Amino acid sequence: MSMKKNFFRKVGFGIGPNETVPDDPLYWAQNQVDKIPPLIWGDTIRSGQEMLNYYAEWVYKDREILRKKYKNNRQAYREAKNKLRNKVGKRYFENLEICIRQNTALKSEFPVFERLWFFWCNHFAIIDKDAMPQFTTGPYHRETIRANMCGSFETLLKEATVGWSMIHNLDNSESIGPHSEWGKNRRKRGKLATVNENHARELLELHTISTAAGYTQEDVVQLSYIMAGWEHRYSKKRKECNPVKFNQKKHEPGNHKVLGKTYKQRGLSPKNKLLDVLKDLAAHPQTRRFVAFKLCRHFITDNPTEDMIAPIVDAWEKSNGNLPIIHKALLKVAFDHSDKEEKFQNPEIWMLQMVNMVGGSWPLQADEMKYNFKIKPNNHQRKPRFFMKEIGYEPYRPIQPNGFSDLESDWVSPELLIRRMSAPKEIAKRKIILKNFEKMIDKNFDNTEEMKKLIDGVKSDSTKMQLIFPSYRMLKT
Amino acid sequence: MISRRTFLTSSMTVTLLGSPIFSALAEKRNKRNLVVISLRGGMDGLSAVPPIDPKLEKFRPDILVKKTLPLTSDFSLHPSLKNFHVAWKQDNAAIVHSTNIPYTNRSHFEGQDLMESGGLKPFAEYTGWLGRGMETAGLEGLAIALPMPLILRSKANLDNYFPTKLSTPSPEIMKRVAKTYPVNSNLKSTIERVIMRPYSMLSGSGSRKAYRLAGAAAQALARADGPRVAVFDMNGFDTHAAQGGSNGEHADKLYNLDKIFGTLRKNLGSSFDNTLIVTLTEFGRKVEQNGGNGTEHGYGTAVLMMGGLIKKAQVYSDWAGLKRKDMFEGQDLNSTIDARSIYCSAMAMAFETDFEKLQRQVFWNNKLLNLQDKLFRL
Repeated sequence: MSMKKNFFRKVGFGIGPNETVPDDPLYWAQNQVDKIPPLIWGDTIRSGQEMLNYYAEWVYKDREILRKKYKNNRQAYREAKNKLRNKVGKRYFENLEICIRQNTALKSEFPVFERLWFFWCNHFAIIDKDAMPQFTTGPYHRETIRANMCGSFETLLKEATVGWSMIHNLDNSESIGPHSEWGKNRRKRGKLATVNENHARELLELHTISTAAGYTQEDVVQLSYIMAGWEHRYSKKRKECNPVKFNQKKHEPGNHKVLGKTYKQRGLSPKNKLLDVLKDLAAHPQTRRFVAFKLCRHFITDNPTEDMIAPIVDAWEKSNGNLPIIHKALLKVAFDHSDKEEKFQNPEIWMLQMVNMVGGSWPLQADEMKYNFKIKPNNHQRKPRFFMKEIGYEPYRPIQPNGFSDLESDWVSPELLIRRMSAPKEIAKRKIILKNFEKMIDKNFDNTEEMKKLIDGVKSDSTKMQLIFPSYRMLKT
Repeated sequence: MISRRTFLTSSMTVTLLGSPIFSALAEKRNKRNLVVISLRGGMDGLSAVPPIDPKLEKFRPDILVKKTLPLTSDFSLHPSLKNFHVAWKQDNAAIVHSTNIPYTNRSHFEGQDLMESGGLKPFAEYTGWLGRGMETAGLEGLAIALPMPLILRSKANLDNYFPTKLSTPSPEIMKRVAKTYPVNSNLKSTIERVIMRPYSMLSGSGSRKAYRLAGAAAQALARADGPRVAVFDMNGFDTHAAQGGSNGEHADKLYNLDKIFGTLRKNLGSSFDNTLIVTLTEFGRKVEQNGGNGTEHGYGTAVLMMGGLIKKAQVYSDWAGLKRKDMFEGQDLNSTIDARSIYCSAMAMAFETDFEKLQRQVFWNNKLLNLQDKLFRL
């Protein structure tokens, strides 16, 4: 039996009733990051394109048809809108997405990969904006983040940056280069034309080099010029739901200097300018440091030290940003510090660890999530969102582009702690596979005596869970 | 953009502090209340309180606010702010203009961090100015929100309340869990607070609808033995696109804000006379509109204040002007008053605590102006 059993929770979801404890934890972990595991769901999963069509139907029909048709009858408008809401699954899909995400995490043969998936979804966070949580953020996590987790950071960065979700989330379609064809035309008509700096700023601050790199407002403006033209077309029939295309007519012509380097157009299209910037940002030393720091902060401790960050930065540099190699370096550091550092687990990861360790019946399965698109999803089907909201973590609804916090202080308050003591009962109410709690403790904890004492003399499974899961060693792994 | 419906159900949290259960100053009669409304996203002071200046029409042809409400010879008010205007006419509302926290880098995350921490360096502080102010004044408090907002954090561990819909475990179970937490840890002090609670606060029966919380907050403030501080949180002021003028995204947000003003006033009743409501945001917006009929992140903005503790209806400002040369970096309304002076003065007045003491213990003795006699009816 290996010590450092907390490692299986530090980088995974713990050991379930039907799983055996791996002999070589580090090998077990590092062996999970080389390929992209399949999503696990008992039904066809809709593509991002299909989901964008639902989104388009919702915004078009609501804004262009219903609002006009019922402009003098609020009650009729409300009813028609509700009908439309059901027809496009607006109250359904987010629940379904939570099920797909969490079922995959729990049933996966590669839980470590799934934890890393959660990390990257949060690094390239899409905030709760428009109807994105209901329709497109789930597919973005699958098709943009997950699908690019075994290549280079540069590719992941590029796909996230020019993907529909980020372009829309950070308003880049609003950008018009002042000297672009559109910009000039607008000025002729007496209108202003400027860039929107949101996306450029977050690209630097949150996705790559961070404020530690000391860039200036002028860098942000110049990068906004380079990014101008990367847009989703806006149309009457589909509103913002059109694919991202580079529109040269909105692009700011000329050379632009970012972080001291001048970016020039090569060939007929200036598209290369942004791609060149992304390449440089991906290879920037501050990006390596910032992302390595964030990885350590998510998996190891609130306060990563230089000796934790250094090996990851080193692996990054040597591999040219190869994500599996970076992930393996992180896992090695996490393993080495496993018995020295404690990491407070956020509500979702903690809840999934609990479900996994007791073999709980969560989330709902595909047959329970069948939906007719006619009436409101039933209470049961709306449970995933309800439950996640209740424990304080809705995965598709971060409030700010820096995503959910990784700091303990943000997750400890009386009410959030009450949730940690209440949620176990909710899972216990549903069927659990676990028969022998002592065995579960042996598999998952190093302080086995202390944990067993905690449930000494307790008969009900529910009470055992209410004692074990909010306890110190479970909250902080 | 967040719809009004979303706002009413989720994008607002309310926080009540200085609850009598915990408060040292609980017995005070005519207690003074302080309400802080955080307007997240960067509130456009030039849209909420437009200066009467033809230059603005040039910079903002497509998002100009029309049908404004009259304030002074130099400023007018956005038509969405009707309740605020009623209070203005009764000398119960005022504005500080051309002001902001001393932060000019235009990032929401940094700016919101600083507007809550009150510091000068982003992410350097882990406590909030209001939390530290209450600590200095010897007030403890109760927040009505699920996550604890930064603005309220302080060394004095604050309590929060947000009724759960799950069933809570028995006190015996909680006590056993508490034993596993290390002495002197944040977890330990937090769970001890939970255990000390009356049962009514542990059973999930209270309403969580935001408008109910808002009304309930005011009613609680109105009680002589009620809390003294409330914090509201509103999202969605980041109007990069379709900001609009008299109608549109920003108008909707101001309408929501005004609704809070109205709800508070109605539910405070006569306690309105002893209340100060003050807004807070991370930055204003650029003077010039952008291509999407919106505005970019800027610097200076306006702070709205309402309540019976206001001295008089006024736009208090060292107006920076809209000439290019007067703008910050040639693009933003400049800030001529450190907004922290307003907040420090507001706390000094509402908490009945020495200004210099707050300046020292809350704002690290940064240079701030004591505006109490200018802004408040002491």
